[in-house]
Amino acid sequence: MIRTENLEIGYSSSLLKVENLALNAEKVYFLIGRNGAGKSTFLKTILGQLKSISGKVFLKEQNIESIDIVELPKKISFVTAHFPSVDFLRVEEFIALGRSPHSNYFGKQTQRDLELIDDCLSILNIENLKGRFTSELSDGEKQLVAIAKSLAQETDVILLDEPTAFLDYANKKIVLNSLSKVSKELGKCIILSNHDIDLCVEHNGEYLIVDSIEKTITHHSTLNKERILEIAFR
Amino acid sequence: MTIAKKHSVLSILLILGLPLFAVIHLFAGQIDVSFNDVINGLFNYNENIVNQLIIREIRFPRMLIAIIAGASLSVAGLLMQTLFNNPLAGPYVLGINSGSSLFVALSIMTGIPFFTSELGLISNALIGAFIFGLIILFFSRMVKTQVSLLLVGLMLGSFISAFVSLLQSVSNAQELKIFTLWALGSLQKVSFEQLPIIIAVALIGILSVFLIVKPLNILVLGETEAKLLGVNIRKTRLIIIAITAILTGLVTAFCGPIAFVGLAVPNLVRILFKTQNHSLLVFASLLFGGMFILICDIIIQFLEPYFMLPINVLTSMIGAPLVIFFILKRLK
Repeated sequence: MIRTENLEIGYSSSLLKVENLALNAEKVYFLIGRNGAGKSTFLKTILGQLKSISGKVFLKEQNIESIDIVELPKKISFVTAHFPSVDFLRVEEFIALGRSPHSNYFGKQTQRDLELIDDCLSILNIENLKGRFTSELSDGEKQLVAIAKSLAQETDVILLDEPTAFLDYANKKIVLNSLSKVSKELGKCIILSNHDIDLCVEHNGEYLIVDSIEKTITHHSTLNKERILEIAFR
Repeated sequence: MTIAKKHSVLSILLILGLPLFAVIHLFAGQIDVSFNDVINGLFNYNENIVNQLIIREIRFPRMLIAIIAGASLSVAGLLMQTLFNNPLAGPYVLGINSGSSLFVALSIMTGIPFFTSELGLISNALIGAFIFGLIILFFSRMVKTQVSLLLVGLMLGSFISAFVSLLQSVSNAQELKIFTLWALGSLQKVSFEQLPIIIAVALIGILSVFLIVKPLNILVLGETEAKLLGVNIRKTRLIIIAITAILTGLVTAFCGPIAFVGLAVPNLVRILFKTQNHSLLVFASLLFGGMFILICDIIIQFLEPYFMLPINVLTSMIGAPLVIFFILKRLK
């Protein structure tokens, strides 16, 4: 699904060298590293929002920099770390905005859009939130609703920037379980940055570890907690 | 009551309310006219009959410009609020009106005949609004909080007013008179013959808003999210500023400054409709804004025997407390 070739990332100078990656569908990848180590930089590069210093990112064998800005949101979606705070925006309206890359010039909703929004709510078990205002949701609910919006975008790849950062333990588990479920059932390739190593280990996904000493990002299929701590936080 | 049903009921009320108040407005005022005078004045005009003259030359243009001013300023305010992600934004508080005023002042004081003509006045008002729209856009990139943007807008307004005063002090009596009359602001300076061009410009502005409903809906989430959903932010920003300039400039050119309508109406509409769907918000702001100025002007005509109340004064008296209320609600 996602492949990188001799990728070096950073803002103006090279911050990290990325091992040649081949990331697949139906998998959850945990991006782990120190604060400021370059996790967001990596996500932004994969997302096509930030040009790489050198090397290439391929999305389904298409160079990400050659994909049109209008086409890109149909292929890859991003859940930002901060849920937008907007008055009077209902959950279903919010999720419907995820359909906008697919909708026509006037953003008209089709019957299929409406059904898809319901599907996105039900796979995450949040049908009850449909008519609520987003400003009145709890942090955990906001995160699930944000994920539902990116599901509505129907992209093969979903990136998430610290989706569990502000959540309590129970909600962290719900969010990670939902993401595992979505990756399996809908065949998505999911990459998320995360600090909760214990929870990551429980979910037996794969790891992208940022080593801030060696300045590299490396891919590991399995790792135990001690090994992760050793590489990422030494 | 479901949300959709509530929206329908409110929409119908607005659709019925606007023509109702428009008719009341036609019959308000100190000289009584009959229904026949209205029909004949518009469709079978005889300029020798005083009542028909009143309808055609005074009341009808005044009624129409009230609707256009209210609708245009309200939609312009809605656009500003969505663009800056700031419910307290509006063409008046962000100094866009003042930009128009400055350019009109400049053009009048140059003494070049074209500039003092109708077309010259409108184009200068539009250019001024557009330039100051771009300036506030530039500042909006630099400030972080909603309130600091308002402060920048207010300071910009004061800054421009200082220049306008300076211009006034160096201009001759004739120029000063033209400008002062314009700057007082009123709905009564438009003649029947001017209506086509005003309607045409207003329609261009208003119809273009419906073409950008989709990016407006997405912009509610902020520029970062909008970019991620494929919105061309640069282009959208410029289009929004251009439309705001057309709508604000038009109203400012013909009616002078009218304060707070653009800020208050879209907020009231959002509170009533409780939605962020812009096709609905734009539609409701148009009708509600038109109705708002109609009602203000009916009050003004009702008070006419006792004292002259300029429209700008009344909208400020209603609008400013509302704005304080919105600010308190947001900051608490």
